[in-house]
Amino acid sequence: MAKSKSDLLQGTLDMLVLKTLALEPMHGWGISQRIQQISEGVLSVNQGSLYPALYRLEEQGWITSEWSSSENNRQAKYYKLTRAGRKQLDEEAENWARLSTAINQILKTS
Amino acid sequence: MIRKSFRRLLALFRKDELEREMERELRFHLEREAEENIRRGMRPEEARRAAALSFGSVERTKEECRDERRARWLETCWQDARYGVRILRRNPGYAMVAMLTLAAGIGANTAIFSVIYGVLLRPLPYQDGDRLVVLRQQAPLAGVDNLGFSVKEIGDYREQNQTLEGVVEHHSMTFTLFGGAEPELIQTGVVSANFFDVMGVKPLLGRTFVPSDEAHGAEAVLVLSYDYWERSHHGDPNIVGKVFRMNDRPHTVIGVLPPVPQYPNENDVYMPTSACPARSSEQARSNRGFRLMSAFGRLRRGVPVEQAQADLSTIAGRLQQQYPDFYPATQGYRARADSLREELTSKARPTFLILLCTAGLVLLIACANVANLALARVMRREGEMAVRSALGASRGRLVRQLLTESTLLALAGGALGVLLAAASMGMLVKFAARFTPRANEIGINFTVLLFALVVAVATGLVFGLMPALATGQNLIGSLKSGGAQSTPGSVRQRLRGMLVVAQVAVSFMLLVGAGLMTRSLIKLQQVNPGFDPEKVLVMGVSPNWSKYSTNQQYKDFSQRLVEKIKTQPGVLLAAMSSSYPLDPHGIANGPFNRSFQIEGHPPAEKKLAPQADFRVVTPDYFQAIKLPLVAGRTFTGMDHEQALPVAVINQSLARHRFGNEDPLGKRISFDRGESWVTIVGVVGDARQFGLNREAMDEVYRPIAQAGGGGILLVRTLAEPQSLIRQMRQAIYELDQETAIDHVRTLEEARSESLASPRLTATLLSLFAALALVITAAGLAGVMALSVTQRAHELGIRMALGATQGNLIRMILRQGMSLVLAGLAIGSVGALVLSRLMSTLLFAVEPNDLVTFITVSLVLLSVAATACFVPVRRVTSIDPLTALRSP
Repeated sequence: MAKSKSDLLQGTLDMLVLKTLALEPMHGWGISQRIQQISEGVLSVNQGSLYPALYRLEEQGWITSEWSSSENNRQAKYYKLTRAGRKQLDEEAENWARLSTAINQILKTS
Repeated sequence: MIRKSFRRLLALFRKDELEREMERELRFHLEREAEENIRRGMRPEEARRAAALSFGSVERTKEECRDERRARWLETCWQDARYGVRILRRNPGYAMVAMLTLAAGIGANTAIFSVIYGVLLRPLPYQDGDRLVVLRQQAPLAGVDNLGFSVKEIGDYREQNQTLEGVVEHHSMTFTLFGGAEPELIQTGVVSANFFDVMGVKPLLGRTFVPSDEAHGAEAVLVLSYDYWERSHHGDPNIVGKVFRMNDRPHTVIGVLPPVPQYPNENDVYMPTSACPARSSEQARSNRGFRLMSAFGRLRRGVPVEQAQADLSTIAGRLQQQYPDFYPATQGYRARADSLREELTSKARPTFLILLCTAGLVLLIACANVANLALARVMRREGEMAVRSALGASRGRLVRQLLTESTLLALAGGALGVLLAAASMGMLVKFAARFTPRANEIGINFTVLLFALVVAVATGLVFGLMPALATGQNLIGSLKSGGAQSTPGSVRQRLRGMLVVAQVAVSFMLLVGAGLMTRSLIKLQQVNPGFDPEKVLVMGVSPNWSKYSTNQQYKDFSQRLVEKIKTQPGVLLAAMSSSYPLDPHGIANGPFNRSFQIEGHPPAEKKLAPQADFRVVTPDYFQAIKLPLVAGRTFTGMDHEQALPVAVINQSLARHRFGNEDPLGKRISFDRGESWVTIVGVVGDARQFGLNREAMDEVYRPIAQAGGGGILLVRTLAEPQSLIRQMRQAIYELDQETAIDHVRTLEEARSESLASPRLTATLLSLFAALALVITAAGLAGVMALSVTQRAHELGIRMALGATQGNLIRMILRQGMSLVLAGLAIGSVGALVLSRLMSTLLFAVEPNDLVTFITVSLVLLSVAATACFVPVRRVTSIDPLTALRSP
């Protein structure tokens, strides 16, 4: 894997998945593509690690899933954000903003 | 939350389907990625490889996904359980002891809960039984709790109330039933036709009463109770239509009741009001003061008891205004409605709740004991835990393993406990029957099983959690030294000490409870009843009333009976009376009080006329039960109908009503001065209505003058039981159609009157003994382990010159300090808790010093023994080996 690509911080993957699903319901492959595209390839989602995250989020009730036909007319499992998921996303985004500001601050001053 | 667990449970069954779904989802991903790669210009072969590469290990992803799905939780549980069973099988001793201890604890609780559920919690087995109320008329100023109802009064309440759906009447009489092998005296409930409909009881066989059965001159019909049908007719399925003779008319059986609790008393058969000679008499129907009946009602839907109460009070007020003669202001008058359910169970409540507390405490002790055992075992398993932890088991996983093991043990113990409870059911039902008519509803049913399950699981968690939490503090350390006794585990040792203290404290409380109950029982047994119950036979004797319908005929029968019995060999004295001391019916129903006035004592305004329990007897009655004569004379054959009407009173009445005056020669009247009887004697007081109740005021009249009777008393030379057959024979010789019932000795009646305190004391003592044994075992275990663990240290001490005596004393002191701490805490607890028992105690204070001291001594000596036995092992320690071992 290229060095310039950052590994994902633990826990941030969940947030990214939620954020991606906030735009529209999507299947697993689509989510991984979307994250890569939007981050312009900086973030590489290990495609395998995406699925446990999806199962975890579903277990927690933040997303739900259902089978429907995909862009190439095949059956795919689509994930959708729930109301609780949307709340969770807001919280995590806020936390993230606070954390990153703090870290930026530290990096600037020292 | 529930939906989530449900889904997980479902997931366990849908495992294959979920697997397939996951497979499909991942395949879709890989194919989609490959397609994308092809679009970017790769060859198909290459595209698939690249896709697989960028995905990583599919199997690992799957496994991780499975982990996320919490259905795994149950799977691991199952794994833990299998592992737990293997471990326990390897430690059969520990498993057995723990299981038996828990079985005792859970069994005791299940048994007592089954009683509480059957009697106190479960709805009445009548349809909508919670809407049934007992109606009552009271004269509060006269201290009369239940006046009874007359036909007229029931009619008034039935017509005037706004809150009740139906009002029914009931009274109970004994009649002789002919048609079986012997004439049979049967308890007959006389009820209005709507009785069973309002009560909500559907017949098991045939039908219950309809209004036409109650019409004047209707054919006489009977409904049998379930018990009587089973007992006397062996559950004959063709009983409906059978004809019996009763009160000199044929009675046809029309139905059989299901087994439901009967209130206010157990009846053998039921008949409609029109068939009862007493109830259909002119006097009963027209005299407002002829209060023979009790009344029940069913609340209209949605009406609370309070509203019915207000409604009845309004009617009562109206009646009092309308008929002041029948409701004298001096006695007060009010009407009450009380829930039937409350009525059926109020007597049972205190005893049962105390038993439940006791059983709960026993379970706590059992829990503490097993927790202690488990702690000791965990200490020895430190190594295993450390290895598992090093191999990657999380702390949570280890704790769960321990919890699973303890829950398994508790479930096994619970199953055994349920068997124990089921085995004790017969005894419990008999016990409960002394307090409530609902005893027959007690049994092991679904709710009771559920209770046992919940208790078992909770128990497993409680005693498993303690060692589990004490685990894994220093796993690495224990791995290093690799031995079971490497860490002294001072935290754990302290925890074990605290458990012992708690056990001793709770045992002490239980022992105090049992001690108080036992002392109270002993006091009851020592009470001088005022008469001599030894060698007296008692039997209820009823002739065929249709042959002895007049007073004179019946008096003649009584006299001939006494004469005949007197001449039988082995008989010292024979007498007839209306009742006898400690008669169970008397105890249940209280005194038969009649008001009277004393000549020369003008009835005080606004004050209640004097009352006394009224008894009729033949002359030899007093001697037969050895009731001492205090002054004057008792009755003789000269006190016949034409002679001067006479009475004998007891000391209590003499003291209350005559004070310093000499009652002999004074005259009293029971009919407002129309006729007078002269007091000719004073006899001693007898505890007629229970050994725990003071004697009542009593008036005795000779049967020859006042009529009545019904009970035959025989003082015998030898054991009274041996004469029963001979007495029956003699009575049948006099008249074949005589019914005999309630045969017992006076001693049996005395003993029976103590049955419920005796049973309560026995059960409490049993529980306390169980607690003591469990505690002693726990203490011995802790001491034994402490000796083993300190062998090294003890060896050093010995090498440095400590004698065995020194060491034993040192360890004993340590053990006994735990016991003393427990004792101190227990005494405080016992002082608080025993107050709850005060209603059950007789002549013993809840903080009775003797009990507290005795119990302390018992507990101390048992504890000392329990400490000493394992500590003696110190003597087997060889300082050399002890020093060499690590």
